[in-house]
Amino acid sequence: MGKLFSSPKLLAIAIAAVAALLISVAGGALGASFGLGFLGGPIPFISVPAERVAYLGSYPLLNSTIMFWFAGIILILFAWRATRKMSDVPTGAQNLLESIYEFFDGTADGVAGGVPKSGRRFLPLVTAIFLVVLISNWVGVLPGVGSIGRVESIEEWVHHHEEPLAAEVEEEHPDYNEDQVEALALVRLLEEAGNETFVVFDGVFVPLGQGEQARVPLNRVVSFTAADLAAIEAAVEAGEDLANFEVLKDILLDIKAGVVKNKYIFDEGGKNEKPYDNFIGQKAGLLVPFLRGASTDINTTLAIAIVAMFAVQFWGLRALGLRGYGGKFLINPIKKGPIMTFVGLLEGFGELTRMISFTFRLFGNMFAGEILLISMAFLLPLIGIIPFIGLELFVGVIQAFIFAMLTLVFGVMAVASHGDHDSHAEDH
Amino acid sequence: MDALGITLQQLLTQLVSFLILFFLLYKLAYGPIVGMLDSRSQKIKDSLEAAETARLEAESSAEKVEAEIASARQDGQKIVAEARDAASKFREQEQGRAREEVEAMLGRARTEIAREKDATVEEVRKEFAALAIAAAERIVEGSLDAKAHSTLIDRVLEEGLSERKN
Repeated sequence: MGKLFSSPKLLAIAIAAVAALLISVAGGALGASFGLGFLGGPIPFISVPAERVAYLGSYPLLNSTIMFWFAGIILILFAWRATRKMSDVPTGAQNLLESIYEFFDGTADGVAGGVPKSGRRFLPLVTAIFLVVLISNWVGVLPGVGSIGRVESIEEWVHHHEEPLAAEVEEEHPDYNEDQVEALALVRLLEEAGNETFVVFDGVFVPLGQGEQARVPLNRVVSFTAADLAAIEAAVEAGEDLANFEVLKDILLDIKAGVVKNKYIFDEGGKNEKPYDNFIGQKAGLLVPFLRGASTDINTTLAIAIVAMFAVQFWGLRALGLRGYGGKFLINPIKKGPIMTFVGLLEGFGELTRMISFTFRLFGNMFAGEILLISMAFLLPLIGIIPFIGLELFVGVIQAFIFAMLTLVFGVMAVASHGDHDSHAEDH
Repeated sequence: MDALGITLQQLLTQLVSFLILFFLLYKLAYGPIVGMLDSRSQKIKDSLEAAETARLEAESSAEKVEAEIASARQDGQKIVAEARDAASKFREQEQGRAREEVEAMLGRARTEIAREKDATVEEVRKEFAALAIAAAERIVEGSLDAKAHSTLIDRVLEEGLSERKN
């Protein structure tokens, strides 16, 4: 302590740290309960599916795809830089990339039986998975990813969510015209999504420090009752002229306005007593981040898992042939007994579960990490996020390593013939 | 599926993206780097082998040098011994010859001395005889037979000589 007070520099740093802590506590979620909370934004809408940010023609571009391509470009540039001018005495990028490949080369040889170059057939995919997953994980931690975005209006939201429902309706009732299909799709959407919440924002800016309170359910913006929806459905079925159907027109106007309304008549139980009065007249919408870590989109992790498991089957088939590899899963019950047949089928089913576990392990870890970062930024702005960024970088490496190593291990298991396995077991 | 956001379109996008990325990484990173690692390990192996052979060569050449030095030393010793032998033989020869020469010279000197001595003795005897005769002549003054007395004197001188010799 004596040292602290004798050095003005250290003292200044200590005071700044304490001040930052106090400001973060006061400005964060805790302070918001006491009318402070000047640093907190509303919790971004945590959506499990990746959000659409733009349309390329009719192709919806997702924010996670952008980040996946970004990660890919970084990776390609890095690889190009590392291998452009290679020297026998590696430096810089070449050294780094070489160490990664050398590490996996050694590990693959070790896992595949300890003979040099025995793990080589797995190496291209294993290293590619490691690098791609690693960079995808890491770019997700970059500042601005998941936190910078735009507000999607209620109208846009309804439009986007209507589309798949409209396709469904069209399939069911091919004789309906466009208006009928749209109206029925809207009814179904409202039935489903009455309690979806939206963020209230004042003009273009989201009100700061309101946190979870700045959310309204959809039925506070669009007023409708179950009876209204039933009436529309009946009108559609009866083939009435929908353009002049008053109830539908009201609902469409509400959607177009996207403003919080006073009346709340959907909930007959009278449970929704929460006052939204101070939001009346303000616009509501959804926050759509422009960027989202690629591994927080389940499609990405599923795609990589599919490639990995297809590669495992390919390695197994190539090493053992159709009879040898298929013999692992389809075992003759007369020769080896029905229990072994059951075990074989279970093993075949295991290949599928492996793919699913691959998918959800990576997705779950990275998505949870993103939510953790958002929550910490909300609870303790300014400083709360710092240790967790380090944690997320670490988790990013670990998850990439696990994905790559499991691919390698499954590959080695697939190429090991059953006979090998048995004789091995007898040895011990 | 819907709640998780799995859509065929997005899945295919990510799948194709990943496969393209995998291909590019294979071409850009895997190929050159694994080639580099292999060529480097081969190079290291080669140079280690070369170093080993160089070491063995150095060892064998050192042995060879040592053997050569040893044989040279042996040769030198042999040469020195031979030289010593030759020298001693030469010395003995020379010594022998010198001795012989000396002996020959001594012999020659001795015979010379003996001859000179004999000649001197003869001369001295002749002188003594003449002196004795002259003395006797003076003593007896012509009365004496010179021939009979010289025989007597000879005998006396011979006795005297033999006495001296002894």
